[in-house]
Amino acid sequence: MLLRVEDLYKRYGKEDVLKGVSFSLDKGETKVIIGPSGTGKSTLLRCINRLTEPDRGRIWLEDTEITSPKVNINRIRSQIGFVFQDFNLFTHLTALDNVRLGLIRVKGMSKKEATERAMAELARVGLADKARAYPAELSGGQQQRVSIARALAMDPKLILFDEPTSALDPELIGEVLAVMEGLARSGMTMLVVTHEMGFARTVADEIIFMERGVIVEQGPPEQLFRSPKHPRTAEFLRRITDLYGGEQ
Amino acid sequence: MTIEHWLRVWNYLPILLQGLSVNLALLGGLITVGFIIGVVVALLEVYAPPPLRLVAFGYAWIFRSIPEILLLLLMWFGPAQFGIKISPFIAAVLALGLRSSAYQAEIFRGALQAIPVGQALAARALGLSRIGAIRYVLLPQALRLSLAGWGNEFAVVLKDTTLAYAIGVVEVMRQARYIGSREFPLTLPAYITVALLFLILTYAGLFIIGKAERRLRIPGLEARR
Amino acid sequence: MALRRVAVVVLVLGVVGLGGMGAEKFVVGTDAAWPPFEWVSAKGEILGFDVDVMRMIAILEGYEVEIRDIAFDSIIPAVIAGKLDIGASGFTITAERAQVVDFSSPYWSSDQTVLVRAGSGLNVVTALMPGRKVGAQRGTTGAFWVEDNLVAKGVAVELVLYETYPEAIMDLLAGRLDAVIQDEAPSQQAVRQYPGQLVIAGVIKTYEEFGFLVAKGDPKGILPRIERGMKKLKETGAWDNLVAAYFGNPLEAVESAWEACIDLLRVAKDPVAYAACLVQKVRELSK
Repeated sequence: MLLRVEDLYKRYGKEDVLKGVSFSLDKGETKVIIGPSGTGKSTLLRCINRLTEPDRGRIWLEDTEITSPKVNINRIRSQIGFVFQDFNLFTHLTALDNVRLGLIRVKGMSKKEATERAMAELARVGLADKARAYPAELSGGQQQRVSIARALAMDPKLILFDEPTSALDPELIGEVLAVMEGLARSGMTMLVVTHEMGFARTVADEIIFMERGVIVEQGPPEQLFRSPKHPRTAEFLRRITDLYGGEQ
Repeated sequence: MTIEHWLRVWNYLPILLQGLSVNLALLGGLITVGFIIGVVVALLEVYAPPPLRLVAFGYAWIFRSIPEILLLLLMWFGPAQFGIKISPFIAAVLALGLRSSAYQAEIFRGALQAIPVGQALAARALGLSRIGAIRYVLLPQALRLSLAGWGNEFAVVLKDTTLAYAIGVVEVMRQARYIGSREFPLTLPAYITVALLFLILTYAGLFIIGKAERRLRIPGLEARR
Repeated sequence: MALRRVAVVVLVLGVVGLGGMGAEKFVVGTDAAWPPFEWVSAKGEILGFDVDVMRMIAILEGYEVEIRDIAFDSIIPAVIAGKLDIGASGFTITAERAQVVDFSSPYWSSDQTVLVRAGSGLNVVTALMPGRKVGAQRGTTGAFWVEDNLVAKGVAVELVLYETYPEAIMDLLAGRLDAVIQDEAPSQQAVRQYPGQLVIAGVIKTYEEFGFLVAKGDPKGILPRIERGMKKLKETGAWDNLVAAYFGNPLEAVESAWEACIDLLRVAKDPVAYAACLVQKVRELSK
């Protein structure tokens, strides 16, 4: 087991955002978390690399307990890729430098080594020719692909995707999903929060349906989409199919 | 003021320029002191734990509140009470530099706070420490965003250097007064010449800063005016 | 190049400030914008009666002086704070000042003069009537006289204070002042520099006396040496020569003479020969 989340709680002010979430992820597995907005999906992801501190519960990455106060969190974070909804590329750095920064400053690679690695990752997401471009000179889709390359370069054990296509124009979504699909097929371990049901259905090994801070149901895509056990799951799927026009 | 007066002031130009070089030396010293302390104070104001943050805000408040001429006199007379001897030039650099640091801290603080939260999150998510995130991501962006405000501060402190004569630094304004006291009718032409010199210097300085701004320009990270 | 020179000066000042070693040395503060007592020549040298007296006494009494130019109203605070050892800037001896510093015996007598525009038709009385605008340099006895004898006694003149004397003269010429109150010697200087434009309307007998000043209690024992030095200068005739050279002559002539003779002081360290040289050269050049 690569990642284990046990009984996670998080409260903001008076609102309970996570109310006892438990699940696990095996190496090479891709799980997709779906659910209505504001049900704690993003908070869950951020708790996993402790960008947000959970109130209660424990998380393990392989044998290391991430939630232990003694853990070197910077080291853990360097092993967990994170792809943001708003990309969050460093605006003052070129695409190449965005990918290189962590390699040089966190992993301590030489500049030459880092450059080679970064160029390889940019090529992998199809943007080798944009290495010298600044984020503002790239389309949203290209920016998100650079941010995926930035995460990949660190050789993460796992990548967390927080609604990676939600900020994109519809015509740019495809290129990002294609990259993600390729990653999943190559054996990368991924945990993806998304509203892209087509992606969830074809790529996920398992779907987790979350609502109001709890996991309502989880299972293989075929089972969950065809015959959801829980009425709330069925209701959500019906509404989202109306909204996004079903399979893409 | 006749043509003859102007011709006579022309003869004094080397002396005025020599005085101006003292102003430039003061400027170089005070802006360096102000920059280094200003960056530290701004970082403390934005990122330090509350007690230290309070100290930083207190510092900036003190040095923005005290009139510059008073700061100069305090810095010159003050250390002598404790047996510390500093030259008028060093006292002027410190007094004006500390004052400038308070204003530069404001500029940098504004820039730091203008950086979207996502930048820090992305840096931390990569595994950079707090200090690393500041050093490699936040500060470089903030300094670029600060350039315009910083250019303005440059123009202000350049003029402030003329106050240093009060504690015995012989700079251009003092030289102009020497000329006036030697030849009374040259007082006004000498002052006008000094004014012109400052116009030229300010223009040249802002031109260089503007050029630096264009050179350092990064798409999507323009300095705000 | 100029910048480099400044850097060197800064370095030297710093080293001197930190080290403070070598021969016995006193720092003399003067506001070098008050010819003929002290001013800065076209070549950037500080000269003048006060300054030369200080240099000559230093040689006679075996110490070194560093002349430092500083705003007039900063001199006494700087002496009190120990940043300066001696104030030599045409200071009138007053009871007020004597409470915070110690003075040498008087070395100069002066009265105040009232300077007005030529053709204004003002005299001492009409120039100082209520409603007149009167200028003076900040911190000088001229300014104090106006405050104590006019303003405080209900004569509603408007007193305008200036950082330096020439600025007051400028405002007088521009018509923004009706009169400027100032010591005799500088006033005569101003009249010479604006021929036909300024006149001395009259003299106010204040019987002021100038003295050199040191910190209260004279902790470094400087005053006795100044007294001895002045006595020697007067006995040798050097004093009279210096007076004859500095007062009543064009500044350009004094500057040229000073340049020609100063090595007698700096190199030969002979105050008597220097004063004789100075007065002779000034006379030649003034002709």
